Amino acid sequence: PGEGPVLTVYSLQPVPKACTSVPVLQQHRIHGTRSRVSTTISRPNSSTLQPNSYDLAVFGGKTVRLVRLHLDVSAVKLAHLEISRPPVELQDWILDIRWLREDKQSLLCVAVAHNGALLLDISSGNALAHCSCLEGCLLYSALLVVHKSWADTVLIGGTVFNQLVLWKPGGEASHNRAPVERRLLGHTGVIFSISYLQEKGWLASASDDRSVRVWAIGALGGCGGNCGDLKPTCLRVLFGHQARVFSVCLSPRRVFSAGEDGACLIWDGAGGGTVLRALKGHRAGGIRALAVSPGRDDTGRWVATGGADGGVRLWKVEDDEEEDTVTKTITDLEFSGRGVPKVVCVVEGEAHNTKWSQCRILVCTDQGFVYQYGNGHWELLWRGSPEFQSYCVMETVAVRLKDSISKANLCAVGSLSGVLKVFPISHPQNEIALQSCSGKIHSLIWQQCDQYVYLLASAAEGQVYRWCIDVRFNEMGTVSLRVKCCPAFVLPTCSKRWLTAAVRLPSKSKGALWVCGDRRGSLLLFQEDLDRRGEEEATDCMQANIKGHETDGALQEKEIPEEHKDLTLSPLSCLFGVHGKQGVTSVCEYQGLLYSTGRDGCVRIFRVGEGPLQLEVLRVQRACKGMEWLERSLIESPGDDKKGSTIENKGTEARFVIFGFHASQFVVWDPVKLERLLAVPCGGGHRSWSFWPVHTGVWPGYGALVFIKQGSVLASERPLESTSVSARTWNEGWSLREGIHGRGIGCVCRLGRIWVPNDSTANRAETPGPVRVQIEGQWEIIVTGGEDTSLTVLAVHPNSGSVTVLSIITDHISSVRTVVALTHQDRLKLTSQSQSLSALVISASGRAQLQCYRLQIGWNKRRLAPFCQVVQVAGHRLDEHWERKRNRHKMVKMDPETRYMSMAVVDDNSDAVLVALACSDGAVRLFSVSEVKRQIHLLWETFYHQRCVLSVATCSLKAGKGHRYVLLFSAATDGKIAVWDLTQAASGSSCDAPTPPNPCLSIAAHQSGVNSLAVWPHTQGPLDGGCLVTVSSGGDDGQLMVSTIRVDFLEDRLRTVGVTQDQPQSHLGLHLLSQLSFPSAHAAPVTALKLLRPGLIVTASCDQRVCLWELCSTSINHRGVLCSHVADAAGLAVWEEPVVEDGRTADLGQTLYEYNLYDYYY
Amino acid sequence: MGRSSKDKRDIYYRLAKEEGWRARSAFKLLQLDEEFSLFTGVNRAVDLCAAPGSWSQVLSRKLRGHGEKCEGGEEVKIVAVDLQAMAPLPGVTQIQGDITKVSTAEEIVRHFEGQPADLVVCDGAPDVTGLHDVDEYIQAQLLLAALNITTHVLKPGGTFVAKIFRGKDVTLLYSQLKIFFGGVTCAKPRSSRNSSIEAFVVCQNYHPPEGYVPNMSNPLLDHSYDVDFNQLEGPNRIIVPFLACGDLSAFDSDRTYPLQLDAGKEYQYTPPTQPPISPPYQQACHLRKNNLLSKEDSPSSLGPRQSGDQAQAD
Ligand SMILES: C[S@@+](CC[C@H](N)C(=O)[O-])C[C@H]1O[C@@H](n2cnc3c(N)ncnc32)[C@H](O)[C@@H]1O
Repeated sequence: PGEGPVLTVYSLQPVPKACTSVPVLQQHRIHGTRSRVSTTISRPNSSTLQPNSYDLAVFGGKTVRLVRLHLDVSAVKLAHLEISRPPVELQDWILDIRWLREDKQSLLCVAVAHNGALLLDISSGNALAHCSCLEGCLLYSALLVVHKSWADTVLIGGTVFNQLVLWKPGGEASHNRAPVERRLLGHTGVIFSISYLQEKGWLASASDDRSVRVWAIGALGGCGGNCGDLKPTCLRVLFGHQARVFSVCLSPRRVFSAGEDGACLIWDGAGGGTVLRALKGHRAGGIRALAVSPGRDDTGRWVATGGADGGVRLWKVEDDEEEDTVTKTITDLEFSGRGVPKVVCVVEGEAHNTKWSQCRILVCTDQGFVYQYGNGHWELLWRGSPEFQSYCVMETVAVRLKDSISKANLCAVGSLSGVLKVFPISHPQNEIALQSCSGKIHSLIWQQCDQYVYLLASAAEGQVYRWCIDVRFNEMGTVSLRVKCCPAFVLPTCSKRWLTAAVRLPSKSKGALWVCGDRRGSLLLFQEDLDRRGEEEATDCMQANIKGHETDGALQEKEIPEEHKDLTLSPLSCLFGVHGKQGVTSVCEYQGLLYSTGRDGCVRIFRVGEGPLQLEVLRVQRACKGMEWLERSLIESPGDDKKGSTIENKGTEARFVIFGFHASQFVVWDPVKLERLLAVPCGGGHRSWSFWPVHTGVWPGYGALVFIKQGSVLASERPLESTSVSARTWNEGWSLREGIHGRGIGCVCRLGRIWVPNDSTANRAETPGPVRVQIEGQWEIIVTGGEDTSLTVLAVHPNSGSVTVLSIITDHISSVRTVVALTHQDRLKLTSQSQSLSALVISASGRAQLQCYRLQIGWNKRRLAPFCQVVQVAGHRLDEHWERKRNRHKMVKMDPETRYMSMAVVDDNSDAVLVALACSDGAVRLFSVSEVKRQIHLLWETFYHQRCVLSVATCSLKAGKGHRYVLLFSAATDGKIAVWDLTQAASGSSCDAPTPPNPCLSIAAHQSGVNSLAVWPHTQGPLDGGCLVTVSSGGDDGQLMVSTIRVDFLEDRLRTVGVTQDQPQSHLGLHLLSQLSFPSAHAAPVTALKLLRPGLIVTASCDQRVCLWELCSTSINHRGVLCSHVADAAGLAVWEEPVVEDGRTADLGQTLYEYNLYDYYY
Repeated sequence: MGRSSKDKRDIYYRLAKEEGWRARSAFKLLQLDEEFSLFTGVNRAVDLCAAPGSWSQVLSRKLRGHGEKCEGGEEVKIVAVDLQAMAPLPGVTQIQGDITKVSTAEEIVRHFEGQPADLVVCDGAPDVTGLHDVDEYIQAQLLLAALNITTHVLKPGGTFVAKIFRGKDVTLLYSQLKIFFGGVTCAKPRSSRNSSIEAFVVCQNYHPPEGYVPNMSNPLLDHSYDVDFNQLEGPNRIIVPFLACGDLSAFDSDRTYPLQLDAGKEYQYTPPTQPPISPPYQQACHLRKNNLLSKEDSPSSLGPRQSGDQAQAD
């Protein structure tokens, strides 16, 4: 697949991965590649020939280029790409290219946009023949059906006028003009893609009208140049996409289509035209490219999709997947016991790493009976006494036994009246009763800790009773339980006062801590009594050793030891209602961090503070839109996790996936890849469900769901399946290349770099595989903000060109347009080789939203990858701010749909960062962001511009005697730049008196909007008591303007004269000294302008040029240009490399990274 | 987001509805006219890529005033062309067709045989595919198709106004326009978003090169000119003056305005003037609304043939 001008080859066996890539088309994007075998060699031990090199015709725009792919057909597959010839430039846009079959030369048939075709000798670049259709018009798509000769070639064009036209470019047409032979009508929109299946004589077309049509066209091309049936019929109209269909492919039994809705649909081509599978996984922006491998009997087909997000995904599809619709995989377990099932639990087998078929399922009915499902049968396991009728809670746990490798499974059931029983599932008759609860038992929670297992029962009035249970095999070979009662927890007073989640954190120094969640949405911290009486030893508590030979149903009342009776524990720390009124659903702990989920759609990552014992939320992670009911998170814990490595990563966030309900489905969501790993159409939020994850070497999220729906017990996987959960069903595809942003990138900001020393890769030498990914050296850390409303933290490895997504932050609700970072790294020398990096990142978006994060970047030695820990510092929304004000001042509600366009750091002092924002409502706003207080405050706003403010920049001036002045520059759509004296705001003195100053100066710079500003002071100014400042600006008018301002430090003069000032007016005198302009610096809007160093500017524009300019006092000199394939550069991050890298700007070596922003607004 | 959301974000969208224009584009033509007095002495005009028809509305109002004829008593003629169907407008002749198609071009030319047009306008834009290079290419082809039609119908000295995307190859287009016109300006009305690459070329004083014979069967293509115009290195050579049009006191298309624009007048939501006539996605939307789209878990029962679908031999 191609991305931009770069061609990459991936090998699919044994595991899909990238092999090699080369840039092919310079400033054109690749639109397609066509291959043919060029040489073959005979296979070892076999007479069959196997290709070892291919010719690839790579095309994009008006360019086509030949690339040769060499394969090393030894045990390890190695590939490399060879480009020998320069690209061939045609005179028209290329829509399709095909190799002439069995041709020993290098002849290509080419279809071009003005409904023409030519025969091209790619080796010479000469067109040997050309022909256009009498129907002269523009095509959006074309397909060539090419056999052995040009004369027999058939072209099918998709017109803008919704028709498919079929004609023969190689026929005996007069004057190189051929008539239309067939015309297919029916689409009501432009046709984007066409596919032909020779075996069946079918043609398929994909359209703007959101449909795919399949036509019975008959034989095309071949000897005599068939044009198919005289009256082709439309076999099928397939409506299933939610938006435009960009691509279609036919296989004998299937139709594959992909579109703007991000889905690749697999249709039953032969049958009723139903959707068999929907392959989803790309981020917003849709799927552009689609390829389907020719089918082979054994391996099935590969489907590859390329998204607008830049991602490439691969899917395996079986041809006989008749039953592969998701609904059919739901199995009714045909519950046959008495009563109606109410609660379901999956019980793992006794062995380590059990298979799905070895799992058992426990169901508790409204009769208070517990049934067990195994081997396809239901059997009654335990018969509850009458108090368990009509209401019952049940929970199971698998306990690792002390002196054994096996596990025991315990089941606890609780009743409406507070009766609580626990029994080993293997010996249900050995039940014990834990009777001490008052009133209804709302919930039961098991928690395993090393040697013991804890049971928590949440009863009336917020009382959470706790027991510590010691489970052993006794001499008789049965499971014995010893129970010790622990002091109860008391939940904060509120409605719905019961426990929903708990986790125990062992702590040597402080006594164990418990972090709990309740139905009211609060997160709570409890500490077990420091008095260690009876803490660890369950033996000195009451004996509950039940021997196998004791009578059935032996009931042993367990008294709570007298001294514990009134002892209750209250929370040390409480984050009341953080998860909203629908409650907390889970809490878990991993390597020092806690992860909670709630029915507010959020995962909260938090920790127990290091100082006083309290809970601190670090970050909030949302699941996808509309997924509000989260049930739990599952941490990725690699199987090879060794002791020792855990210490290194302590306190850094792990990768996790989120389980929850999304509309009528149970969904496993990956918040980093932003995709659904699993979706089970279970009907929606259930009171009782149980998920069994596949343990072995599979990314969390694959597994089986068991749930109760309308009195039936249903499973997403057939329980008797002897294999582990079939990867086939839940295979959501491989990601060959990660997508970065679904839609355009609005802003980019470089944080700095981390260095990976060579030795950290030493232990990788043994890792198998021929392709050793290079990882040592520097990694550039970049933050991007996108139209998909997310912020992405990326690590770019310039040596290898690889890009890794470190984190995706999804707190913004609208397109992120501007991001700034404060690091202290850049104050050090460029060459300092730090392995970690810390930055404060502030991002601003539409809907007037600001967010602030602390990012900690480091190197993970175990995974050999960079990592990023995100701590959410604060957030601010103007509409909320105004809402609060309105309540206080009865003011009119302000427009909340203001977009923040640009941001600049005014000042960065110890306790707050001051940032100025350019706002679309015509305001310039000043905010203070305090990391310590975790607060963002609006200090003032001014509507001076009265037009959309597009850009802001700041400049700090050093005057004599250690004085410092701060200037702010703001520019709007009218081409004017205003200059503000923010010295007082920056010094912190006027923070309490939030009055915006008046501008000191206004400069007319452009005819229309000023998109970008760069400002710097002259260091060796000739001025006494003042200095010169240069403002360079890039405009929508394509102009580069350089304005020089003279700044006089009035205050210094006043001071020397001994005058005191008490008015808060500016102490600076500003005058525009001179303006230099380069009117047509670019042929298109200048979208970004960055200062490389004083006097040296880089500009980027929609004309796809990146230019370097040097400023002298009297002129602007063009010093270099780079042509980029980015048609819509919006942001630019530049930094100077210590090493000279770029020939064209040889004396000023630099590396440029550009990102796209999409969208034209009409 | 409520229905007033777009009113907040896009002041010209809102004004267009309030003033009865079918699209906010109307303001672009009006602002271009403010700067260039496009309609002075114009009786006969072509509006290419006209749907939903706001430019035709402007032409109709400006050329016809309130009657059928202009002041000079001459017949007013406005021909509007688009792929999409358009609701009728008084005094505007409509052609539904593809302007890149020779037969459509010929049909337009037929309307002006004998009496050439004074003004040709083209607001053509592809239905954005999201692939910028493709969009830019197609837009350029629309402009060239419009220029080709113009060479057949425009009187010498006449004016041609067309939308242009300021992208990679824009200088190539400028160079071609300069061959046919005495003055070429790149104009950006203030109602066109700053953030958009859209601008308009105002080409005045049509005078084709000597001996130029318009040729329909061999339309102008961007490739017929020296690639040197599209220099990759060095600053661009073809300089076309840039002009921002419209009063600075006019509304700012990039600014978000509060719904209540002035204290005296309460905001009221206005529905769109003219919803699109049978857009491509009509059937798909109908199916979606009625939950008839094929899904993984619900077998669809769409028959093999849809009414209105047909295939024919040519
Ligand atoms: C921006 S709209 C024009 C708006 C119009 N000026 C108005 O004021 O209402 C662009 C139009 O170009 C039309 N268009 C695109 N390609 C075309 C083609 N090849 N032939 C004719 N019209 C085309 C589209 O159908 C669309 O209606």
